[in-house]
Amino acid sequence: MVSALDVCARQLGSAAASSRLEQVIAQASQLLPAQGPITVFIHHNTLHAFEELTFDEGVQAGARTFGCQPYLTEDRYRQELARGRIRLEDLAEILVDDLRERADALIGPLGTRYHLRLAMLQHPLRSGPSEELRWFIAETDALTRLPKKLPTESRERLVRETRLWVLDNLRNGHDHAHREMLTDLLARYGAASMESWSEATWESLALQTLWRTCREGVHCLAAVPAKSPEFVRPRDWLLEATGEDSDRLVNELLIRFSAAFLDQGMAPWTLPHRAEGFFRAFIALYRQSAGPPDRWLSGLAAELDRLEAASIGPLESILESLDMLGVEEADWNEFLSETLLSLRGWAGMIQQMELRADRVRFPAQPGSVIEFLAVRLILERLALKHVAQTALRLSGSLGEIPEVARRRIVQPPAVSVDQRAFLLFQLAQGRGWSAPGLLQMPREVWSLLMREIEAFSSIERRRVFHRAYERKFRVQTLDALAIHGRKRSARVESPKFQAIFCIDEREESMRRHLEEIAPETETFGAAGFFSVAMYYRGAADAHFVPLCPIVIRPQHWVVEDVAFTAAGVHQRRAKTREMIGRASHRAHVGSRGFLGGALITAGLGVLASIPLVARVLFPRLTAMIRGKATGFVQPPSGTRLQLERTSSPPSCEENHIGFTVEEMTNVAERLLRDIGLTSGFARLVAIIGHGSNSANNPHESAHDCGACGGARGGPNARAVAEMLNDPRVRNHINSRGLQIPNDTVFVGAYHNTCNEALTFFDLDRLPPSHDAEFTTFQNVLEQACAQNAHERCRRFLSAPLNLSFAAARRHVEARAEDLAQVRPEWGHATNAICIVGRRERTRGLYFDRRAFLVSYDPLQDDAESAILTRILQAVVPVCGGINLEYYFSYIDSPGWGCGTKLPHNITSLLGVMDGAASDLRTGLPWQMVEIHEPVRLLFVLESTPAAVLKIFDRNPAIKRMCVHGWVQVATLCPNSAEIHVLCGDHFEPYRAEANELRQAASSADWYRGQRDHLEFAEIVS
Amino acid sequence: MFDHELILRVLGLTVVGAPAALFGVLGLSSLRGKPLNERAIVTCVQSAIFAGLLASIAILAMMLSLGTRHVPIPLGHWVSIPHYHFVFKFEFDRLSVPFVILTFLLCGTIGAFCNRYMHRERGFNRFFVFYSLFVLGMIVTSLAGTIETLFTGWELVGLSSALLVAFYHERRSPVQNGLRVWSVYRLSDAALLLASIVLHHLTGEGDFDKLVSVGTWPEGAALLTESQCLLVGLLLLLAAMGKSAMVPFSGWLPRAMEGPTPSSAVFYGALSVHLGAFLLLRVSPILDASPVLCVAIVVLGLVTAAFATMAGRVQTDIKGVLSFASLTQVAIITAEIGCGLRYLALIHILGHACLRTLQFLRAPSLLRDYHMLENAIGDRLPDLKTPFDRRSPARWGDWLYRLSLERGYFDSLLSDFVVRPFVALFEWCDGIERRWTELVAGGSSRPADQTDPSQTPLEDLQ
Repeated sequence: MVSALDVCARQLGSAAASSRLEQVIAQASQLLPAQGPITVFIHHNTLHAFEELTFDEGVQAGARTFGCQPYLTEDRYRQELARGRIRLEDLAEILVDDLRERADALIGPLGTRYHLRLAMLQHPLRSGPSEELRWFIAETDALTRLPKKLPTESRERLVRETRLWVLDNLRNGHDHAHREMLTDLLARYGAASMESWSEATWESLALQTLWRTCREGVHCLAAVPAKSPEFVRPRDWLLEATGEDSDRLVNELLIRFSAAFLDQGMAPWTLPHRAEGFFRAFIALYRQSAGPPDRWLSGLAAELDRLEAASIGPLESILESLDMLGVEEADWNEFLSETLLSLRGWAGMIQQMELRADRVRFPAQPGSVIEFLAVRLILERLALKHVAQTALRLSGSLGEIPEVARRRIVQPPAVSVDQRAFLLFQLAQGRGWSAPGLLQMPREVWSLLMREIEAFSSIERRRVFHRAYERKFRVQTLDALAIHGRKRSARVESPKFQAIFCIDEREESMRRHLEEIAPETETFGAAGFFSVAMYYRGAADAHFVPLCPIVIRPQHWVVEDVAFTAAGVHQRRAKTREMIGRASHRAHVGSRGFLGGALITAGLGVLASIPLVARVLFPRLTAMIRGKATGFVQPPSGTRLQLERTSSPPSCEENHIGFTVEEMTNVAERLLRDIGLTSGFARLVAIIGHGSNSANNPHESAHDCGACGGARGGPNARAVAEMLNDPRVRNHINSRGLQIPNDTVFVGAYHNTCNEALTFFDLDRLPPSHDAEFTTFQNVLEQACAQNAHERCRRFLSAPLNLSFAAARRHVEARAEDLAQVRPEWGHATNAICIVGRRERTRGLYFDRRAFLVSYDPLQDDAESAILTRILQAVVPVCGGINLEYYFSYIDSPGWGCGTKLPHNITSLLGVMDGAASDLRTGLPWQMVEIHEPVRLLFVLESTPAAVLKIFDRNPAIKRMCVHGWVQVATLCPNSAEIHVLCGDHFEPYRAEANELRQAASSADWYRGQRDHLEFAEIVS
Repeated sequence: MFDHELILRVLGLTVVGAPAALFGVLGLSSLRGKPLNERAIVTCVQSAIFAGLLASIAILAMMLSLGTRHVPIPLGHWVSIPHYHFVFKFEFDRLSVPFVILTFLLCGTIGAFCNRYMHRERGFNRFFVFYSLFVLGMIVTSLAGTIETLFTGWELVGLSSALLVAFYHERRSPVQNGLRVWSVYRLSDAALLLASIVLHHLTGEGDFDKLVSVGTWPEGAALLTESQCLLVGLLLLLAAMGKSAMVPFSGWLPRAMEGPTPSSAVFYGALSVHLGAFLLLRVSPILDASPVLCVAIVVLGLVTAAFATMAGRVQTDIKGVLSFASLTQVAIITAEIGCGLRYLALIHILGHACLRTLQFLRAPSLLRDYHMLENAIGDRLPDLKTPFDRRSPARWGDWLYRLSLERGYFDSLLSDFVVRPFVALFEWCDGIERRWTELVAGGSSRPADQTDPSQTPLEDLQ
């Protein structure tokens, strides 16, 4: 693509530099968040750009780049250790696995490296600035009392050894070297009365000698060289030297301007010259005279005039700015990445609007990120100049900032003797090392010990902790599968009903309850778009919405029509709706204006108190009344899908809507073969899509079906059911060797995962022969919804634990309509497992709504595992993306996620800011992830290691995520309960730790009265 | 009659006492370091607000049935010397009763809302402490019978508002914006304080009913001369301007949208932003006495309304849009007061507060609302152009657009012309003081200045 900008740059003879610059910018902008407009929320790996690295390298590199946390805090892991969520044996296993042959190396006389590290994990090691530590030592009881949590053994050993040593030393006096240390202590406590010293005195003496020994021991060690700060951005230099942040000035203006540039229809008065692009619009707006009186902006108009007069384009302007700021070409990448990331939400959104121009009303022109960067650097120059002048009294060129700032920066203190000594002091207490033992150590051992301790840094400890945290869960899962897998498993013989759900882990409980209520039911899991990739427009919708995973671009269009007999009613109602819509839009906008606002607020405003009070105090009742009141304008019931296409090619035009019979057959066959439903059909098969609706929730779409690209999957279920019922499609499918009995009927339905409502489609086409069965099935499904609501309610603190099923359903209904409810549902929170295999292998296991369940029959797959491959191609990125997004948003909520949603402020109809103005916040809000357990998704594939490795070889994208450890992978043998776990690039057999699984009579029995995560159990009825 | 008076007195004390008791309970338990749990807090809030609301409705009913239009509840003389006295007094009249009922209604609804909205938030207790302080301040201000009483409530409202803006104090911008709100409030507080001193100086007391010779609100005439009225009135106007975010103080209103959504809704969208207008209503006899003052108020109101309408049309975030929409109406209300339309202004305040609160609470529904409207209309939402949009020439249009986008440049003008000289003055004083202390100490006198507050990070990321 040759843009006008390029041409311009070339004419001026800097083509080579420009194209290099363009490459660098393209590379830098890959770090930007890939989240598009919030109305269609698509989950993906927050650190997608780092997938080339292994998980641990990736999160640590990402953490450095973005300034966020890679794992939970050490304190948090220790809490988990204390409450048993991490077991000591997990830590031990992980350490052995991590160190391998290096584990047994002796570190002086004090034990092996393994023991040292384990102790460092077990005992909290605190640190802080030297001043704080000195205060701590002097002012607290650190030198008089041993910590209460210390094991008795260490505690006793410490005191005993010290006592013996002191007595021995006093009597024999041969330890002259250390006598001095003791003299003043003995004087303080009164050596004469030593025999009558209390335990407390000895304890204190032991601690005093220990602290002195540690200090003395590390005193003579080589000091750690202090690291002087290095930055590429002059802003960082200034911030470090003066505490003044030039980004604050730049961001405030740039946020306002970017929001105006990207606005999708919020402000009635749009940005002038928006169509000319970010750069031109900015110049046009800010080069006018009599501009903002802010001091730092005083040179802006002149600078923009200069750019305009010399017709300097954005790329050239960036080159110019880089030059003025004194950034070397080698530093371009780092500098530009950091500059872009300083307002990454907005920069990322501009990039998305540029890339996904088809999905928004007002897209951004190609090259907008470059223009954004150019404007940013112009403003940054002005801000830097201003800050340098006011805070640093520097009036020279901007390139001098680093040098001048460096002189001003106080050298950060190196790791001090006190800090090292304190680390050792704590460790010694934990391990029960007393002063006399340590005093024997030669200096080499001290230095070795210190090196060892410092090598196992906090970040390393957190990594090990995290592994152990995941291990406990993995063992629990694989044990459950291994034990359950030993039982004979078979499909339900002549099932009465079958139901195909989305693979979503929220449907796990739904399926389980359904199977418990009606054991003659068989359930399946397929990605919730049910192989129907389409643009869809409902009867009352304005626009087509893509309903398929984000990686697919639909080739077909489907619309919902109203049946011919009701067309008149439909048109009348549509007219009424339009009228009401236009009027309320007018009132909506008018209430914010001058005259309209005055009339509405003064005249009718008081009436607003009625819905205000009603909606807050009685959300469910108000919603029911509103539903009744608006019912008369909804499209009449009895709609149908316009599904069959008569002319090609497919498009959104009349006659080009829909699929051909051949295409329908492909879709239908693909669905059935994927889930392995090729025989043993029931007379009734429900296909159930899902979605969610919640009031007052900007992140509503994040609760919808991920396989439908953050939209609601009802129409997909409806479409595929209609295709499967089509006799012509059945004929075609029959000819491809898949026999569907004539009396099998498919019914599409939609499950609302928030309020647990279930809607069936096209019931008027149900043959009378199936009426009775359908009624039974419907009742069973409704009952399953109520029980599902009940199981969900155990996680809501505001729902009492003793709710009945019906009350639980009322509770979730109110939640969905409540304006004040920030946790309408938990969404994907707690997701942790993805099982790809036959339901028989997992049926009867309580997975606590934590498992994505994908139906796949390995026995029907070919030697090349073609079916498994295509399943994994969709499931690994989608489920892995969901899981990693939750992982990061939980680990560092304000950093990777978007923090608490209470102050969120919808902006430009695209996303949310924190409060009045901030960077655009990406990721998930804290209220969505609060109960999540940050573990990487564990895939369990019902297949053999060899088959899976073969798939890896042919699919680099899958392999990268699995082998680099962004997800965990295990296989469950199709013919036995053998399990293999992927370690690096090969599989190792798994040995179950437990011998039996806890059992319960029903799900409700197992979870009743519990709020927290539950262990997995077998439900035996 | 005695019976009625007693009942009215008890009810009146309940109206003031309920929020005071609420603040006492929540505040003291927090001070003791043992904050109540969520459930207990909610129970306290609900019972206090409900008691206050019932009592105020009962007073309204009694006043209507008895035909009384003015019920004073004095809390005794605090200072009483010849030519001067200082009284704490609450008054129920046609202005304060609707305002009190509105306050209880909105605060009660918001209390119920926040019970669920703030559930499990770390600052749950802190939020409700500020909330109760705010309710107390609003009630005291609305019922104030003397300017000192009004000042007390005014201060409480200001303090709680600033603290609520800075509710998320772990981030930088809420704290900065909270400080900005606080500074503007202090400026208007200073004006109110001056007004009260001047009033005392002129009349020897601060009772509002002494400003008025005959009749109760809104009738009555000022006892002061026209020029006295103008002086006091201008000071009060300054106070009202700060509190109601009139030009040139408008910058703080959109910046106040930092706290949890419901606090922005009720506090800045609905209640505290109307306090300036309320103050002007309360002293309306003074306005009647000074036509110059009235003209100034009308002009100020219209200018602010015009500015806010314009700025509101370019805002791209929902809370910004709503805050300018609020400002527009508050400014119109102010202009109405200047024109002498007291009852209209009162009704306008009530209606505006209710509607805006609802809109603020529903702010997170914006995307869904727009989606539903689009579906109903069957197309993209139409641009609703005003005549103004069609007429303004492009050149002027761009200039005005930037003016609106930058919110009238008022913030930077205030920083330049008010804050900078102010800070410079105090830095100069600081310099003098430092020279003096160093002279006395014979060397460096402030070791704390040299200490580097920055810390080495506890968790390394190397």
